[in-house]
Amino acid sequence: MGGGGGGVLLGMPGPWADDNREPSDFYTSKIGGLPDWPFPVENLAPNLLICGTCGSKLCLVSQVYAPISSGTSNIEDRTILVFGCIIPNCGNTPLSWRALRVQKVDSERESSVSAEEEVPSTPPVPVSKANWLDDDSDEDIDLEALSKALSEAGTMASHSKKKDGNQRSESAVKNSTLVARTGVDMEMPGKSLIHSNQVVPCFYMYTQEPSSKDIVSSVCSNYSELFIKEKQNCDYNDDEMGDAGEQEVYEYDKALSADRTYLKFKKQLDAYPDQCFRHLYGGKPLLATAELGDPGNCKLCGGFRHFEMQLMPQLISFLLEGADDCQKIVLENWNWMTLVVYTCPKSCSNKLDRGKSTNSGWIVAEEAVLVQFEKTLQESIHTGYFS
Amino acid sequence: MAERPPAERGSFGRGFGGRGGRGDRGGRGRRRGGRKEEEEKWVPVTKLGRLVKDGKISSVEQIYLHSLPIKEYQIIDTLIGPGLKDEVMKITPVQKQTRAGQRTRFKAFVVVGDGNGHVGLGVKCAKEVATAIRGSIILAKLSIIPVRRGYWGNKIGKPHTVPCKVTGKCGSVTVRMVPAPRGAGIVAARVPKKVLQFAGIEDVFTSSRGSTKTLGNFVKATFDCLLKTYGFLTPDFWKETRFVRSPFQEYTDLLAKPTSKVLIAEVHDE
Repeated sequence: MGGGGGGVLLGMPGPWADDNREPSDFYTSKIGGLPDWPFPVENLAPNLLICGTCGSKLCLVSQVYAPISSGTSNIEDRTILVFGCIIPNCGNTPLSWRALRVQKVDSERESSVSAEEEVPSTPPVPVSKANWLDDDSDEDIDLEALSKALSEAGTMASHSKKKDGNQRSESAVKNSTLVARTGVDMEMPGKSLIHSNQVVPCFYMYTQEPSSKDIVSSVCSNYSELFIKEKQNCDYNDDEMGDAGEQEVYEYDKALSADRTYLKFKKQLDAYPDQCFRHLYGGKPLLATAELGDPGNCKLCGGFRHFEMQLMPQLISFLLEGADDCQKIVLENWNWMTLVVYTCPKSCSNKLDRGKSTNSGWIVAEEAVLVQFEKTLQESIHTGYFS
Repeated sequence: MAERPPAERGSFGRGFGGRGGRGDRGGRGRRRGGRKEEEEKWVPVTKLGRLVKDGKISSVEQIYLHSLPIKEYQIIDTLIGPGLKDEVMKITPVQKQTRAGQRTRFKAFVVVGDGNGHVGLGVKCAKEVATAIRGSIILAKLSIIPVRRGYWGNKIGKPHTVPCKVTGKCGSVTVRMVPAPRGAGIVAARVPKKVLQFAGIEDVFTSSRGSTKTLGNFVKATFDCLLKTYGFLTPDFWKETRFVRSPFQEYTDLLAKPTSKVLIAEVHDE
């Protein structure tokens, strides 16, 4: 694998966020924290953020700004969000991970959106209710009326009750944990309260292109040049090459518990030990094990999905540095080697969504994320060095 | 060649350079300056690596006890570290016939060991000699195995020989190791002797068969033989195993206990 993988972009860690919940920009790439939705989050279908295994709310793991500027399509406002489950025993199944693609649809639709511009102005209203300690039913009724008013402006009526719950929790999340709790209670009363306001520690990222020279030199860095020259000067040709014994043949790299695929993976990681994600639109992923599942077809257009980016396990180590104890339990349990995100090559958007124009021109599409785990003990039993 | 006591390893030169060049590799490496330090930085990739970097695992034996796969060579560097010595056994060109002539690559065999029960073997082919040597050192560290030593007769002092007769095979080469009394030294050909010295075995009788001229197979057969020393069930192991928690369980359970109570208290305080 020469030349740094041909155009791959590496995400390197930058500064920590001052507060794990601080909002940033839709166009920022970061790990952890809260997602920066470009539209009011009550318009988001709630089932997108529910863990497939345990049913609790997913937390943002990474937000990567990924515009496309290839021949046919030119989409500037596009971000890939990866969500994971932070219930302690639930991070290690493929269903606990979700990838969403948020992008702006064609701008010609924006004219029909003008009627919706009052939608973003509603979040300030519930903030004043954040300090109430009354029971939920009063707040429900008020917001029901509010949401009915919204639906008259053309938003989907079916989302009203749940939207309001989310809206309150997102806008007032910094004020008190009480608000987040009520937000969750409305949907799932009696659910564990412990994790409703957990977020993954947040740090920002910048991208860098790898240079091929670095990959070779990092492997070599630990060994003195003088030592190597000694080896080269010695006479390695004095071994019996010309006689009829068995000749040595080329052998692929192998170690006791590491096969060729993994060794190539590790070599690329060692070149840039800080990398947190690798982005190569339409390229080949760097796999840790040779088997990978099938990403399936795009839900909107039915077309085949291609690789876009993958998250690397170094980010777990970085997150552990900034995590407090309860977050550490979750992070230490994660044992994935890489999270590979596959997206639709056309970056399609549903025709229905364009007609709805609920989100001021933004659409959210679910994409596939495949997880490669570390092999467990049972899977990696080896009979010998040569097997 | 005269017998050498096992403590002096590799002070003779077979043309592959002496111990001096290698001994202070650590010092030479660290003197390199800013760019070096950045490249020496290790961000662990596996769960085991994270535990080792945090210092929660103190010795390699804990890893062997639970048969955890070692996927990062930096783990071995951290746990065994400076005691680990290495030696290049052979560098041989391998050739492939192409339409434009022959393409030559170099194959390096490296043995690493600390002389106290841990030995590893790495084989790497690369276009340049230097790359092959470096790569094979890394592969050797990933393949480090524990070697069991025992007694020939009276159990006085430290174990010095293999615990029983073991044999290893690779290709056509078979290597058989037989326990020897103290003072016998390593009675073996030059190639397996090097491996056994790195393993920390002081006395052993060996016997080999097959085409031992192929150094690759010979050294792998010796390595396979050493791998089997801990695979042999002797009466010492008849006692029932007392299972210990693996490092993964131990350290996650520790953190799980106190914090859940704290969280519940916080929420109710609102």
